[in-house]
Amino acid sequence: MKRNIKIIGMLILVLSFSFIFMSGCAKEQVVKDEALVTEEGKAVDTATETEEREALLKEEEEARAALKERELVMQEAAAFEDIRFDFDKYDLKPEAREILREHADWLLKHTEFEVIIEGHCDERGSGEYNLALGERRAEASSDYLVTLGVDNGRLTTISYGEELPLDPSHNEDAWAKNRRDHFVVVTEKK
Amino acid sequence: MFFELLPLNFKPETDIMRIMRKITAFLVLLVFCCSCPAFGKVYIDIDSPAFQKFAAAIPDFKNIGSNEDTENLSARFSDNLTEMLKITGFFRIIDKNAFLEDQSKAGIAAGSIDFHDWSSIGAEFLVKGGFQCNGKDLTAEFRLFDVVEGKLVTAKKYWGTREEIKIMVLKFASEILLALTGERGVFETKIAFIGKKGKTSDIYIIDFDGSRLVRVTRNSSITLLPHWSQDGKKLSFTSYMRGNPDLYFIDLSTGKTKRIANFKGLNLSGPWSPDGSKILLTLSKDGNEEIYVMDIEKRKLRRLTYDPAIDVSPTWSPDGKKIAFVSGRSGSPQVFIMNSDGSNVRRLTYEGRYNTSPCWSPNGKRIAYEGMANGHFQIFSIDEAGGNFLQLTFEKGGCEYPSWSPDGRYLAFSSRKNGKIRICIINSNGLNLRTLHEETGMDAICPSWSPRFNFY
Repeated sequence: MKRNIKIIGMLILVLSFSFIFMSGCAKEQVVKDEALVTEEGKAVDTATETEEREALLKEEEEARAALKERELVMQEAAAFEDIRFDFDKYDLKPEAREILREHADWLLKHTEFEVIIEGHCDERGSGEYNLALGERRAEASSDYLVTLGVDNGRLTTISYGEELPLDPSHNEDAWAKNRRDHFVVVTEKK
Repeated sequence: MFFELLPLNFKPETDIMRIMRKITAFLVLLVFCCSCPAFGKVYIDIDSPAFQKFAAAIPDFKNIGSNEDTENLSARFSDNLTEMLKITGFFRIIDKNAFLEDQSKAGIAAGSIDFHDWSSIGAEFLVKGGFQCNGKDLTAEFRLFDVVEGKLVTAKKYWGTREEIKIMVLKFASEILLALTGERGVFETKIAFIGKKGKTSDIYIIDFDGSRLVRVTRNSSITLLPHWSQDGKKLSFTSYMRGNPDLYFIDLSTGKTKRIANFKGLNLSGPWSPDGSKILLTLSKDGNEEIYVMDIEKRKLRRLTYDPAIDVSPTWSPDGKKIAFVSGRSGSPQVFIMNSDGSNVRRLTYEGRYNTSPCWSPNGKRIAYEGMANGHFQIFSIDEAGGNFLQLTFEKGGCEYPSWSPDGRYLAFSSRKNGKIRICIINSNGLNLRTLHEETGMDAICPSWSPRFNFY
């Protein structure tokens, strides 16, 4: 419908222009015919262009939808939930395993992603021991994800010990937040 | 560069001296008076429980040159030396107001001193000095007298520039300690530490008295675990500057940094061996944190621990024959000892459920470490057999990372106060805690006391 109205509108416009033209130079018949042919041709061209534009729009829309989905995936990737540990421990608690199972499901669905697992500790204890402890925490997640079917090659571990606390406060709440594995999901290994 | 010529008679205009001064334009030291053999005789055992502080008098130094003392060097010499000796905790410096001697008449040599002027105000030792300045150049003579016996104990002459006044004072303070206690003390030492600002950390160095702060690294990354080479020319450390916690050496004179180990996982810097040829490391390349020893020249690694638990934080005994380290093998972090080839592992600490960061004292007698007590970490020490357990700190904010001074008389460590972490020092018996360095906006942690050597 829209397209028809457009074409009609254009024809009216063209015809009225040709009418003015004709009345201005009635003797030049050839020119008029040519002009008419040209106008018709133009009208057809416009129709094709519109179709193309439509297709393009559709494509764009699809791309936008894909992008949106991708964005969503990326958002999911960025929102990998941390898992937490007890003081001086690197064994996975039941709630941590649950979170890791979700991570594994997602990773099995989105195989183009890889994960850097960061092991962190709270500030208590020596920095050196905490680097080792952080590594154990990262390895614990990595090992569990592998048992859940995630390819070992997609997982990298790094320990930051107590060097990068999530919450720099010096209390039980902050410490609990800081004793964590953090997951950085990337499309290619850094 | 620095030269020490021992022993020589005082001949300030020898060719050697002239050449050296021209080439180095730096501080040159020379014993100019060897008439009294100070070495060998130890006046008092300062480790004895009966030790009483040395009572010393340090009058203003005499300007023995022809140029005017425009910078009040006269008082600066005596004041700086007073400060240095006080830091040791072994001296009681007598107030200048109590002095009886007419300093305009008295000289700086034994013949021109009336020792009664000094014994009558309770001085056991007297330091006299003279200096001359010529443009930028500064020359100073120091003499330590035994007031009771009326004798010269030791004397030195130093050549340098005006800026080097403190170095001259440090050098002579070191001589005083050597003459009176048989050991040089810590005057010619520095302390490296980690300065943490937000997410990045770097290595800094201060003198033993907390002065002359120098920033060593600028890596915009996490930097950890500085350890001195035995010659004091290099530091090993761990840094994330290329992503992974790798091991680096930095040459302190050139500032050049070299990556030494970048195995997968942790490459944690540890102490250099007493002979300087090896370094202890913690690596997790085999899937588990283990202690290794690396031959620095050949870059050859030897694994020392084989345990599925965490093994970390190694420290050499001063003879290099044993290594103390931390292991989680008994369920919680505890200090263990093994032979330097990894054999004969035994547990050292049983008190408390979390003990880490061992540091073996240079005299071999004690091992300091940090342990959890009432929810906070404090500094402890224990002897090699596990006896004579001693808690050294009782700070509310906690104390971590003990590091012995090279004479074994002090420990540096980091301590939290008012939400900020600073570098502190304490005597090995737990007395005389003082702050060495604190800075706004920076946590100062992980001190590492240098060996004793000629920094200047």
